[in-house]
Amino acid sequence: MPYNIAMVSDFFFPQPGGVESHIYQLSTLIDRGHKVIIITHAYKGRTGVRYLTNGLKVYHVPFFVIHRESTMPTVFSFFPIFRNIVIREQIQIVHGHASLSSFCHEAILHARTMGLRTVFTDHSLFGFADAASILTNKLLKFILSDVDHVICVSHTCKENTVLRASLDPLMVSVIPNAVVAENFRPAEPRSVKPIGPNDTITIVVISRLFYNKGTDLLIAAIPRILASHPNVRFIIAGSGPKAIDLEQMLERNVLQDKVEMLGPVRHEEVRDVMVRGHIYLHPSLTEAFGTVIVEAASCGLYVVCTRVGGIPEVLPQHMTTFAKPEEDDIVLATGKAIAALRSNKVRTDRFHDQVKMMYSWTDVAERTERVYQGISGDISPEEFYGYYPGEGLEASGDRVRSFALIDRLKRYYGCGVWAGKLFCLCVVIDFLLYAFLEMWFPRANIDIARSWPKKVHQRNENHSLGNEQKNDRDRLHAN
Amino acid sequence: MPSLSDSPPSRPPPVPVETHPNRSVGLKEQRALPDPTRLAPEDAYYASSLLRARPSSAHYDDSLRVLNPNAVHATSVAALRLPPAVPGVGGRKEVRKLRGTSRRRRRKGAWKKLLWVKQSYPDNYTDTETFLDHLQRNPRVRPYDFWPLVADSTVIVQHVCSVAIFVCCFVGIVQGRVSPVSVVCWGSVGTALGWVFWDSWILREHAESVHVAERASEGDDGSSSSSMTSSVNPSGATSSRPGAQKENQVHGLGLSMANNEPNQIASRKGPACGGDVDGNTQEPASPLSGPASDSLGGLSHEADMSPMFSSRNRQRLSTVKSAFLIYFALLGLSPILKSLTKSTASDSIWAMSCWLLIMNIFSFDYGSGEGAGATKFPASLSTNAAVMASTVLASRLPSTTHVFSLMLFSMEVFGLFPIFRRQLRHVSWTGHVLLTLTLVLVAGGAVGITLRGGWAAFVVGSILGSILTALTMGGCSWWLISLQKYKNVVTGPWDPARPIIRRHWD
Repeated sequence: MPYNIAMVSDFFFPQPGGVESHIYQLSTLIDRGHKVIIITHAYKGRTGVRYLTNGLKVYHVPFFVIHRESTMPTVFSFFPIFRNIVIREQIQIVHGHASLSSFCHEAILHARTMGLRTVFTDHSLFGFADAASILTNKLLKFILSDVDHVICVSHTCKENTVLRASLDPLMVSVIPNAVVAENFRPAEPRSVKPIGPNDTITIVVISRLFYNKGTDLLIAAIPRILASHPNVRFIIAGSGPKAIDLEQMLERNVLQDKVEMLGPVRHEEVRDVMVRGHIYLHPSLTEAFGTVIVEAASCGLYVVCTRVGGIPEVLPQHMTTFAKPEEDDIVLATGKAIAALRSNKVRTDRFHDQVKMMYSWTDVAERTERVYQGISGDISPEEFYGYYPGEGLEASGDRVRSFALIDRLKRYYGCGVWAGKLFCLCVVIDFLLYAFLEMWFPRANIDIARSWPKKVHQRNENHSLGNEQKNDRDRLHAN
Repeated sequence: MPSLSDSPPSRPPPVPVETHPNRSVGLKEQRALPDPTRLAPEDAYYASSLLRARPSSAHYDDSLRVLNPNAVHATSVAALRLPPAVPGVGGRKEVRKLRGTSRRRRRKGAWKKLLWVKQSYPDNYTDTETFLDHLQRNPRVRPYDFWPLVADSTVIVQHVCSVAIFVCCFVGIVQGRVSPVSVVCWGSVGTALGWVFWDSWILREHAESVHVAERASEGDDGSSSSSMTSSVNPSGATSSRPGAQKENQVHGLGLSMANNEPNQIASRKGPACGGDVDGNTQEPASPLSGPASDSLGGLSHEADMSPMFSSRNRQRLSTVKSAFLIYFALLGLSPILKSLTKSTASDSIWAMSCWLLIMNIFSFDYGSGEGAGATKFPASLSTNAAVMASTVLASRLPSTTHVFSLMLFSMEVFGLFPIFRRQLRHVSWTGHVLLTLTLVLVAGGAVGITLRGGWAAFVVGSILGSILTALTMGGCSWWLISLQKYKNVVTGPWDPARPIIRRHWD
């Protein structure tokens, strides 16, 4: 059964980034017969409704942006226009992305008030110690105490999210990111010429040059690697606050002819940079998934990376050398990788096909679809959540989240001594706002948007539309 | 959905099984003895079953055992274990033979914490054994003991008491009960006495450190790479003064930097004395490399004994010189300070000096001066706040003599006295305790006199003050210890790693 899905996030094109392309790539759900729209805030020069080339409809809602393209968290002010869009597009499932996006959090709250199923995808890892994390975690707990399902991009990310938001682990699915393997092919005629003992080996680094990307480790390790391996060159792409330190290091050690700094590169150009090298070095300090190392492996590069976050889950051992996040260990691991390449033990020419088998967006879309089916009741809860006899896990019940206000309030009340009461207040106000909007802007006055014409599933969808409208009315009466 | 029509049969309801062939411990045993340092999956959403509830039922010692880092060490050391990508078929067979029971596992294969393998488990499958496997609780917590905690709190008591004494002296001066000259005279006598003590301690340490340097240079290693004159190498001092070393261990104190400070202050005070310092036997500006100082110690020990004493005298001379410099500078500045805040209302002054003194107390460097435990706030912040407080207070006084006396007294109390206290605690623990007692008694008495007047008030104030101080010290220590059970630091692989970089490039 096809669904009408709204993806909500602060982060979408034209801004580049991992979350953005994840949301875009998830719209392969359209090819599986679903209807997908995207709601994001207005970017400079982009306001209103836009269609992307694959029939994806994007709502750019004008909203006040405070920091790094995150909107101002104003709990309720997004509700009227959100309700309008949802009714207009006959949305059944609201899917929010990224835990720093207040747009997504608000949308999930309002969607639950309106009686829609919600999914949240977490793309990042957070600690528990500093004040910013504590605040974010509390907000996340607020939003996720009533969400229907959560998707995380790696198992480490799942553990993190379960702890941060006190979730039932069975309500959290792990669906990794993927890469478009066609865009990351190895260099064309890679005439499988074995690397001789004196041939030049090029190490590629593509990352934003920030502290948490491990640029300090990189700065410390490069001179030592170059000192012990004369026939090695570096290509570094990316920009950021640590770029100056990197350049200073190059000047101090006079390494300009061995290290090439490319500056920022666009995502389309990443492949062209990668295929110039043999090894991809990724010294990051924290990473939920690390799409870039999958991209590098897909380009046929041997990967040297730090063993942090979700990275150890991402690639098989024959494609990677792991290092501790220490200067000495990175130098050591890179040396090992160079030796392995020189002895031609690593079949990098096979990496592309292997990665293609491991990660594809079609697979991700399929698995996401199963989540949608699970929360909408198309798969029975026993099957979706699994049955664990004697585990005590099934005792928590309450996985199929009812829309009754009292049940929702119960869930929010458990968030904390003071926070619980505050959250309940917010939810009650949200509900009153909803009732008010229903009176003031009645559903009947909102036009229904026509769907983008599709070749297949056309009849099927029309059929479901009628049903859906009726369902909506019923639900409204029930409320 | 065309593609999903066949998926349900291929994904039978999962049953938790042993996930890893190497994890040979039977499931039941692990279930029976849950590791208290690890969260079970249920903990995540049964908020009531979190640790917070556990130690409250158990005895405090048990909760401390949970907090004990050693218990967690095993999990902390274990890096992210990766099951073999494709478990060897032979190995699996053997394991199966050993267990022989888990038929399901044979059909399905073990769940692996990997993203790149297609697994026959649903996406929301939660493996009860590996889930939150690498979570650590309170990895770096250090349990406190009551009496050492109380002993350490004496440092704070000393400082608060000296601030109280200063404030009482000011009140006395303002109200005309105490002559400012007598206050500063007593203060100066005390300071001079303290300096004599301090000087003798430094001398003794000189001799000891020379001994140590000599013995170290006879040996082969460079363990005494610290400068031979002043900074005592704690490991070196062990043999020559076992008693002191034991004290150091008991109270967690070590004072290698404290000696440097007075000299630095002295050289900061007057440019003249900076030139006097002889680089050879006095503080080397930067720590010398091991071999250099070793050879220095070995060669120059016997020859330098007499020059060292003379340089010692030279340093005393420079200290006296800088003392006089400060004395006269203060004398010259007093008329300016007197009229500094004429246009400001007294209320503002009281409020301001209050805040400044509170700032002084809170930002004071109570540490033992060890380099590792460097304070976040610079010690200068505390001293500056105190000097500013006394400046604004002094500007309320009627005559230049009053202002001069109070300023000099504040220098002694806030600038020099802490150095003496730190050194005293390092040298003799009994002296430290005695000093604390005296300070508490005097401060209590001074507060009593200020409030009521008369010697009876002094006695009552002393007694009340010491009782109150003892109760506060005990109560706060007990409170801090009892708060430890709420400590719940959760770390895991999601935390940003701390990069370890060997050398810096600048």
